[in-house]
Formats: sequence, C-alpha cells, structure tokens
Amino acid sequence: MSSPTLTPLPSLAAAGTIRDGRTEPNLAMECDYVVVGSGAGGSMAASVLAESGARVVVVEEGGHFTRRDFNMQESWAYPALYQDGGNRATDDLSILILQGRGVGGGTTVNWTSSFRIPDATVDLWTRKHGLLGVDNATLAPHYDAIEKRLSIHPGDPNDVNANNRKLFEGATRLGWKPELIQRAVKNCARLGYCGMGCPIDAKQSALVTYIPDALAAGATVLTRLRARLVETDRGRARAVVCDVLDDEGHHPTGRRFVVHGRKGVVLAGGAINTPTLLSRTKLSNHPLGRRTFLHPTIPLLAFFDEPIEAFYGAPQSVACRHFANRGDRVGYFFETAPVHPLLAAVAFPGFGATHRQTTARLAHAQATIALLIDGHHDDVGGRVTAERDGRIHIDYPLHPSLIEAGIDAIKNMARVQLAAGAKEISTLHEDPITIRSEADLAQIDQAAFGPNQHTLFSAHQMGGCAMGEDPETSVVNSQGRHHQLENLWIVDGSIFPTSLGVNPQVAIYAHARRIATKIAAQA
Amino acid sequence: MLLVGGAFPLLRGSGPLRAPTKPLRVLSPAEYGIFAAAAARLVPGDDAPAGWPTADQVDCAGKLDEILAGIHPKAAAEFRQLLRTFENGMTGLLSTGAPQTFTAASPEQQVRRLESWRHSRFALMRSGYQAMKRLAHATYYASPSTFALVGYPGPPTIAPTSPAPG
Repeated sequence: MSSPTLTPLPSLAAAGTIRDGRTEPNLAMECDYVVVGSGAGGSMAASVLAESGARVVVVEEGGHFTRRDFNMQESWAYPALYQDGGNRATDDLSILILQGRGVGGGTTVNWTSSFRIPDATVDLWTRKHGLLGVDNATLAPHYDAIEKRLSIHPGDPNDVNANNRKLFEGATRLGWKPELIQRAVKNCARLGYCGMGCPIDAKQSALVTYIPDALAAGATVLTRLRARLVETDRGRARAVVCDVLDDEGHHPTGRRFVVHGRKGVVLAGGAINTPTLLSRTKLSNHPLGRRTFLHPTIPLLAFFDEPIEAFYGAPQSVACRHFANRGDRVGYFFETAPVHPLLAAVAFPGFGATHRQTTARLAHAQATIALLIDGHHDDVGGRVTAERDGRIHIDYPLHPSLIEAGIDAIKNMARVQLAAGAKEISTLHEDPITIRSEADLAQIDQAAFGPNQHTLFSAHQMGGCAMGEDPETSVVNSQGRHHQLENLWIVDGSIFPTSLGVNPQVAIYAHARRIATKIAAQA
Repeated sequence: MLLVGGAFPLLRGSGPLRAPTKPLRVLSPAEYGIFAAAAARLVPGDDAPAGWPTADQVDCAGKLDEILAGIHPKAAAEFRQLLRTFENGMTGLLSTGAPQTFTAASPEQQVRRLESWRHSRFALMRSGYQAMKRLAHATYYASPSTFALVGYPGPPTIAPTSPAPG
C-alpha cells in the first residue's frame, strides 16, 4: 500500500490530546509505537511507553465520552458504549456478548470488580500451556501499582445492596464462604449505573486514570479509527492501517488513515477484535482466533416479597467461588448482575403476557449469575473469524462439559436463593422452571439447555491470541511478543490461554504493564 | 425451512401493514410493517392492563430501523431476510399449518407462529425467533414510558455537589 503524506511526529502542542481521527488534516501519522485500542491493555501500554519517552499514538474505533455524556439511560449507553451497539453475539445468537467500545474500552462500562488472577489459573498456564516466567510473584509488583492507581480497596460492606446481600446471606447459610469484591472506585455514590459509564467519575476506569496518564506523558489518542490491518515488512510490523468511520461512528467511509510505528505496534482491541485484525494480516497463524473463551454466564432470577431494586446500588460487590474448582469437571463462580429494564427484558424468556408478568416484578427480582470457567478442562472454547469486509463471526458451541456445569450451577444458585429466603425462583430456560423448594430442582436436569433454549451472556472475552512458547499452539510468546513479527505485541485479554475464573480487568492491566515495561526497557 | 420460505413470493397476501412514521434508513416499508406486527405480539399487547403502551406507540419498528443502520450491512440484510421469511405464507404453512402471511393471520395464529419458532427443533428458527424477540423487547423497554410500569423509577438525579473527577 502506498503511503500518503505523513504527518510528522506529533508536536508537543498536538500531543497529549484526544482527537477525533475523522478531522485530522492528513491521513497518515508517524510515531514510535502505535497502540490499537484504549481499554485496560491499550491505556496501560500507552502510559508505560509514553512515560518512557516514546512517542505513542493510540487508535480507538469508538468515541470519546465523558461523565457529562453518561446519562444513565440504556437507550443511549448500549449503542454508544458497546461493540455492535450492544448487539454483539455468537453467530447463532445463543450467547449475548457485552463488550465495551470507546475511549476506556471495557473499563468504561465494567462493574468495577477487581481480582488478581487465581493461582490455580496461572499454574495451569505454566503446566499445561507452556508459559515461561509468568506467575503471580512476577505479576505482584504490577498488581500493587495498579491497585494503588485504581484505588482498588478491600470489599466494603457498605457497598452491598439488597441484590448482592441475598447472595452473601444465602451462600453464608450454606457454608459456601462468599467474599466481598474489591472495587476500583473512589468516592462512589453507589448509583448503580457502572455499566452505562460512571456519571460522577467515581469509577476509576482507564478513562480517568491510565488514559490521562498517557496523555500527560505526551501520547495522542485518535478516535473513530477502526484498525483494519497491520502492514508488515520482512518480519516486522510497520504500520496500522485504519478505516476512517462515518459521522455516526459505525461504518467505514472508504478513507484510510495509516499510523506508522517506527519501533513497533501494540494490539489491545480485545479478545474478539484483535484476532480478527491479525487475521487480515497475511501470516501463517493456525491458533489465531481459536480457543476464545467467554465465561458463559447464566442468570437465575429470584423473587422476594420485599423490594430488591437491583437497578440501584453498587452493581457487583459479592462473589462466591465455592464451586470454582470441581476437580475434573468445569468450575464456576457466582456473582450478581444489576437489573435494568432493557437488559432484563432481553434476558427474560417468553413474550407477550407471560413476559410482561415477569418484567412487572422487576423491582422485586434478585439476579444471581454463574460464570462458567471455560478452557480449564476438555472444552476448547470458541473461534473468532472475520470476513474481508470486516464482518466478525464468533462461533462458540457449548461443550457437553459446560452444559453439565451450567445445569449444576443453576441448581446451586437456586439453593443460595432459597437459603436467602426466596419464595419463588424462575430459571431463564425458554420454558422457565419455577422453583419453590429443593424438591423442584430435579426438573432442571430435564430441561433443554441447547442453543437459544436458555439465556446466556458473556461480559468477559478472553483468548484467541494465546501466550505460549510453541507457535503451533500460541500466537505470542510469554512476553506478549508475536511469534513471527518481532516488534508486535498483544496486551489484551486475547493472550490468556484459558479463561481466568475471575473478572478480567486487573489481569489485563497487569499483563499489559508487565509486557509494556519490558518493551520500554528494550527500546 | 428458512430458505424454502424465503424462496416463495414474499409478501403476497400480506395483511394491512403499519406505515412508518418517519423516513426509513434500512428497512423497506413492508419490512417495517412485518416487524411492527411481530412486535405487537412480542411486547405487552392489547391484553395488558391500562397504561402499557403498544409497540406502535413506542415505535419499536422505527427504533429497529435505527439499530440496523448501526450494525454491519450484511447482518442488517440477514435480519431483513428473516423478516420476509417469517412473513411468508409458506413459512406459516410449514411451521403452524396455517398458509397465511404473518401480518394477515389472526392474533392467535400469530402467537402460534412465534411459539413454533421459539420452540423449533431447528436451531436456525430458534435463532430467528430470538433475534426478533430481543430486538422487540430492547426497543420497547428502553422507552421511559415503560419504566414506572415495571417498578423502575428511572435514573437518579445527580446532585451538583457530586464528587469531582478523581
């Protein structure tokens, strides 16, 4: 591809800003490192590299929205802040995929939950997936720095709303040792709208932490540019070619914007977008896009006499990992989900009068969720591919071992809700099962659990560009560097060889910091 | 079955179609009318207690048109094809035994067709049902006019003394 006129390295006056890429005077730019994506991985890499003195340009396909834009309306938030306007899903629509889009990426819309990677997961990566020199001791200084910057603090009992309290009480009564979740917040007013962007900047997302850090160190962020492919030259990444998006930020205009990275390219578009970006770069990469993991998430509704108002309060403050390790069977963990009308109505099965009768009880509904820990056993996850025109395909067949775990999880969630005092529980099978006592649980074994026969979500996307030392089974090495392109690194959740077993933001930040620190040291 | 249904003359025998209230960006007027008819069955309908808006009052089909304008054109085209197939009389014959277009069918027959797709042994038809169901519910329950009906007071007002950026 011929290179149009290059904008020189950003001047000091122009650097350190977030700009709309559609309004740039030229269609090319040069810097030391191009970073694709501005979420946890991209913001961290940009800040580390910029603070080391490198000239950094971040390209982001979404928009730049701030607290003044976050109006707490689902009708605005999903189209503006989520991939595919909130309509991303597996190809068969069996799993709805909530994934952030815009400056700050997933951290702008996550529910603030902050965990280090469980030892069992890191051990598995070393033992089974051949990672070298990556353990929690290596990551510890990175965790420490991140937890300090994001104001991550021990779980606060005052954060626990009624929705989460039911999980805590039920799991406690069963002896399943629930825990308070560490949250990345400062002066949180517990409004309940983390998933729609924090309107008071209490959430310490990348939008208000590592992006400002990167800008302060001179990085430039260009929005509304969708990375299309990585240009390569003799084993090196040379530039990132981006589609300039239209006025609404949805579709390519046909104009291309090229950012040349003299020293390298860092990919952080997330576990769906990064594999598809690389798939358009001509490389022989068999594992690319394979072993994509989603933490398939199963909601269960319990109805209480008293109002729960799960739409208000800190969305997620309690977890229960009692079933995370089930030996040779797939594990899972429990958390809760906020219950706002649009998302709840999409999740509730049925239609017409029966659906209305469920939504009419929204204020009394408690939502526990079970997240399946995929990729740790014989299940191989899904596969992400892309067409030449950019259309993304996500194929995620539900492995029998996941179905077994899902059915077990529904029964144990119901036990928690019964122990918490629920009078009525409703599964989200297409033909919902009503549970009022332990005796009703046997029905769950008989219910169909195939594609689109039960509501499933994913808010955590991982894998597809796994770390490892074997190019036959991994895309990048243990230091995040591409096996074939010596100056291309990946720093998002796609590098995880399996799912994590916890919410991923801290893990992504930590690996991005580890990898970017090494890039900076070697520059 | 989707392919079979889609191969027949698509809208022959359609019932009265709801007309769009503003210029459409993606849907044809006929496709708008088909989704409007499906949404009328999917969201709280005429049997709902007083106060529940209809799908037409919320303009679910108009909001769908906006959503389709923002997704990949191939995905939008597939959804339009789904609507035409769902409407087709041959599809009705094969799924419920009633050889009528969806829009010309009685409310009871329309519900039967939706139920037949919802519980179909064919995964593709279940996917088709879910696509229509989710988009109908998403467009309907995004409307503030439904908030109080489900016991949701809406977002709180942010006090001017809210904490400054951290």
